[in-house]
Amino acid sequence: MDIFTHIALGAQVLFTPLNLFFCFVGVLMGTLVGVLPGLGPTAAIALLLPNTFHVSPVTAIIMLAGIYYGAMYGGSTTSILVNIPGEAASVITCLDGYKMALNGRAGPALGIAAFGSFIAGTVSIIGLMLVAPPLAKFALAFGPPEYFSLMLLGIIILIYLASGSILKALMMFVFGLLLSTIGMDAISGTQRLTFGLLELSDGVGLIPAIMGLFGVAEVIANVEEEIKRTVISTKLKNLLPNLQDWRDSFWPILRGSVLGFFIGILPGPAPVISAFSSYAIEKKISKHPEKFGTGVIEGVAGPEAANNAATGGAFIPLFTLGIPVNSVIAILLGAFMIHGIQPGPMIITKHADLFWGTVMSMYLGNAMLLVLNLPLIGLWVQVLKVPYPILFPFILLFCLIGVYSLNYSLVEVALMIGFGIFGYLARKFQFEMAPLVLAIVIGPMMENNLRLSLVISQGSPMIFLEHPISAVFIFITLILLISPFVPWIGRRRQKLQEKVEREKV
Amino acid sequence: MEKTQSHYNRIAAIFFLAVGVFFALYARTVEIGSWNEPGPGFLPFWAGVVLAAMAVALLLGSFARKAWPLRPSFFPQAGSWKRVLATFLALIAYNLFLPYFGFTVTTFLFLIFLVRFIFPQNWMRTLLVSVLGAAAARLLFINFLETQLPKGFLGF
Repeated sequence: MDIFTHIALGAQVLFTPLNLFFCFVGVLMGTLVGVLPGLGPTAAIALLLPNTFHVSPVTAIIMLAGIYYGAMYGGSTTSILVNIPGEAASVITCLDGYKMALNGRAGPALGIAAFGSFIAGTVSIIGLMLVAPPLAKFALAFGPPEYFSLMLLGIIILIYLASGSILKALMMFVFGLLLSTIGMDAISGTQRLTFGLLELSDGVGLIPAIMGLFGVAEVIANVEEEIKRTVISTKLKNLLPNLQDWRDSFWPILRGSVLGFFIGILPGPAPVISAFSSYAIEKKISKHPEKFGTGVIEGVAGPEAANNAATGGAFIPLFTLGIPVNSVIAILLGAFMIHGIQPGPMIITKHADLFWGTVMSMYLGNAMLLVLNLPLIGLWVQVLKVPYPILFPFILLFCLIGVYSLNYSLVEVALMIGFGIFGYLARKFQFEMAPLVLAIVIGPMMENNLRLSLVISQGSPMIFLEHPISAVFIFITLILLISPFVPWIGRRRQKLQEKVEREKV
Repeated sequence: MEKTQSHYNRIAAIFFLAVGVFFALYARTVEIGSWNEPGPGFLPFWAGVVLAAMAVALLLGSFARKAWPLRPSFFPQAGSWKRVLATFLALIAYNLFLPYFGFTVTTFLFLIFLVRFIFPQNWMRTLLVSVLGAAAARLLFINFLETQLPKGFLGF
């Protein structure tokens, strides 16, 4: 089997009317939620997940993936035109993108963002195709101890890269683990902490949790004060960047793509981090760093490429290890399980149609996005003009119906509202959501692997150090946990965070 | 009075301390097991203990004398808390009324309330948005997607 056989297989899967349609719906929805502030890709994927139950898993994943990378395109539009990032990964685009729009160069800014995203998307898909299969083969040797250590490492990297206090992120993670233990125990069948509620015996639902934490909580935070938005309404002509623009952006796009792809593999808010890093690098190596922030095209091209490439990279741990690196991938993993696909290194060989079909759909999806975002930019500007006071009741309505239609259960709707209250308060208290969501998804997997490992070793926790691969993971985990206490590294990490936070404001 | 981050941390620490202790106690009602043979209560118990310990660390840390960053007030505007509370109440009311009034009517009332009272729009606009919104939602979810939503005592 060579790579062309696989590509042919993927194309065969993709080019059915149903899959093409769902791919289109995915990227369309992605662009829409990317454009709308206050509704991110996480909530959108959770919202549409119930509607995919009656189609095949490939079709479902094709659409859900489309939402994820589509949102990266849409997010840049609002950054450039309104100076409000549609989602966090586009924060940095505001700096130069909005200035370009003020200088009357909104067209080229949107254009280079779309082309940069397209090129980066393609680079990261090729990376995914090349890296994922060998990595999956390597992961076949993993047993319960390796998986447990790897998941622990993954979560620690996520927490390490999170922007706030490490202690608080760890607390959110442990809290999520506790929530994930609610429900029937998979090994002994005992009901745990269900308080006699039938709905809880399957555990705390992922969808109600995510809709509450990301959908409801975000809307509530947005009704606190009225956001004034002024859309730049200059003529959006000359969307095509000129030759000089291309010369200026070519290398930033390539650097951003490679950087984003590799950051994407790591757990954490990769699109955000990679966009920030790309901006920092471009500024550092530029011949005219003082011009950054006044509307230079490199400041748009690099970060936009990076955040798109990161979405491709994030699929690697999902397809090779079955481990999610961020909230969006966590929901996709949830979708795998709902559709009865066992996540892990076997996915690529056992469900070759799923993997290659999804990869091929990403190529096509990126091309669709180019069409959606350049010639149809006027449509998205119109969407931006829908006032928030009219919009937010409908977002809430979608959350309510989305959760209800899962199991026709009002208890789950109440659960979502509860998570909404918690998510709203947790944000106010500066706790991060990502460790919590990840813990809810991988909590049961971690628990099973922990208990299986202890059964294998007959109760000796040393098993995690006796298996060499597992020992390496544990070792890196410990280094990461200790390093903030080393004054030199701790200070640098703090400085970096302060910088990120300042630029966010 | 301006609040610093330490105030926030203290409140959060007390909350999570309670959660951790609660789970650790509750886990004792199911079998915890041992290291050799971990039972269903194993993870909830230890995770509860760890969470409580971390909460204590956060609590102690919040008394540290250092330059805590000042936080903007909890609500950015004077009227914010009313809008936040009203929105939450609307969500809860939707959940309570749905089985009795049915999807279409509850949705209509929900939209009227939020459009009219959160960021007040005039009645003309409110009614227009709510009628069109409720009708569109009904067409989309019941007639097109065929979702089984409650019909209520009115029967639609």
